[in-house]
Amino acid sequence: MKFLLFADDAKSLSGLATRFREDGEVQAVTVESEIEQCQNYGIKKLYGLKGKAFADNVSLAISGMDLQSYDLIVISSSPLGREVAGILSGKLNFPCMTEVFEISFSGGKMITKRFFFGGKTIMQEESSSKIITVTPGSFDSSPGDNTAEKETIDLGDSRVSLLEVKPKEKSSTNIENASIIVSVGRGIGKKESIESIMPLVEATHGELAGSRPVCLDYKWLSEERQVGLSGKKVKPKVYIALGISGQIQHIAGMRGAKIVIAVNKDKDAPIFQECDYGIVGDLFQVVPKLVESLRK
Amino acid sequence: MSLNIIVLVKQIIDIDQIRNDPKTGEPLLQNIPLRIENLSKNAIEAAVQLKEKNGGKVVCIIFGTDRSNAAMKEAYAMGADEGYIITGYSGNNPYRTAKVISGKIKALGNNSVIIMGNQSADSYTGILPGLISAMLDVPLLGNAVSIEAAGEVLKIRRVLDESDEIISSGAPCVISVTQEINQPRLPPVLQIMAAGRKPINIEQAESDGTPVPRVISNLAPKSERKREIYEDIDKGVDAASRAIRGEIR
Repeated sequence: MKFLLFADDAKSLSGLATRFREDGEVQAVTVESEIEQCQNYGIKKLYGLKGKAFADNVSLAISGMDLQSYDLIVISSSPLGREVAGILSGKLNFPCMTEVFEISFSGGKMITKRFFFGGKTIMQEESSSKIITVTPGSFDSSPGDNTAEKETIDLGDSRVSLLEVKPKEKSSTNIENASIIVSVGRGIGKKESIESIMPLVEATHGELAGSRPVCLDYKWLSEERQVGLSGKKVKPKVYIALGISGQIQHIAGMRGAKIVIAVNKDKDAPIFQECDYGIVGDLFQVVPKLVESLRK
Repeated sequence: MSLNIIVLVKQIIDIDQIRNDPKTGEPLLQNIPLRIENLSKNAIEAAVQLKEKNGGKVVCIIFGTDRSNAAMKEAYAMGADEGYIITGYSGNNPYRTAKVISGKIKALGNNSVIIMGNQSADSYTGILPGLISAMLDVPLLGNAVSIEAAGEVLKIRRVLDESDEIISSGAPCVISVTQEINQPRLPPVLQIMAAGRKPINIEQAESDGTPVPRVISNLAPKSERKREIYEDIDKGVDAASRAIRGEIR
């Protein structure tokens, strides 16, 4: 089989390349800034898009390639990726399968898995889609055995104008790569209380993360630390959930964790159905004890 | 310039009320009510605010079923002026959804802006804004956290991983909104009552031959967690601490 991949970040693209090179030849498109970091993952030909990337000019650049020669177009589900997938699907009349996290091919058939009903179920489907979007973080990357042949494509003008850009400070956080995550939920009560969790983050050499309410609704933590269906999907060795009730949307973001530890006052909280070790109690009592025990 | 605003409203099964059969893992969908998808409410609110500021009208489109009247009445109560329900929705086929809706938008003609949520809460497909923009051949301003109109130009602010941007395009265009854009209003009782009397236009979608994926299974994910729950904090701390140390090493 022959695949064309698109991702606007090197991490997602290298994961996709690692997965799809198992099933055939991989060519890929990314933005110029990411090319250097993607060249050693078994991609045969790597196209770098030069210029400001918008959904329309990226889609135009991709649809200008010989798309009939690929069996499947695979797009990483970033905000830009989803828009590009939609535009390509609409322009080329290719139905698109979305948010795939597992895929297999057998006898000319494609079988995919994705979450449905807001994460309550997993839907397994067989389809003839020519385009799929893949949830970032679904596939780990490992280097391949060739260096990609590179080519630059100049992006054309977009019908969208960029009026203002405020770069965010580059944060060092990348919870998707963390091997230990300490995650806080509404049960933490207020922003100031996050301080009292930090000794546990330090004792475990972990990264701090949070649930949707904590990151988006109350903004006690920045958005890039949000774990969940609408946030980051993480797979640490240990995930420590503090004061997180365990709504299904949250579970969908941390299902890949090897060990889950949960602390919650409410013994009926759904998180206790999805943990390996659960402690029913006040997190402000439990956390210092846990830190003490870990430091022994 | 007064704006002709179209809002795409999605109706979903109330996913928070779905329980799975503990034995088979099958979702139990009987008697679960429908509701307006949360992001559609953000889209309606954004549209009504634009209208209040610039003048114009808000037209809602639901690709739904004969159970979609309540959702349209809710949109009316929030300030929508006109509504079209296109029946024949069978779910889970964004390509067909986009085709039906963009066909209706073309038939209505003379639009300034089409507003919708950026991703829906049931399946998170997130490709409808791109599909609609491609089928109407108009620019897409995606993931707005605020919208402004000035003459024939629409301007949005969006928050990306690495930067905050302000982008713009001429009308007509598609704008997708995020949850952060606003707090949808709770309409006063008088408006809810008035909305109940307002006529709704209902049409039937033509069926088409878009290939639909074959569902092999749709079941609750199996959890293989140990579920060792401690009500004695000290014992729990011991167990947790041992597990963490085993992994840190």
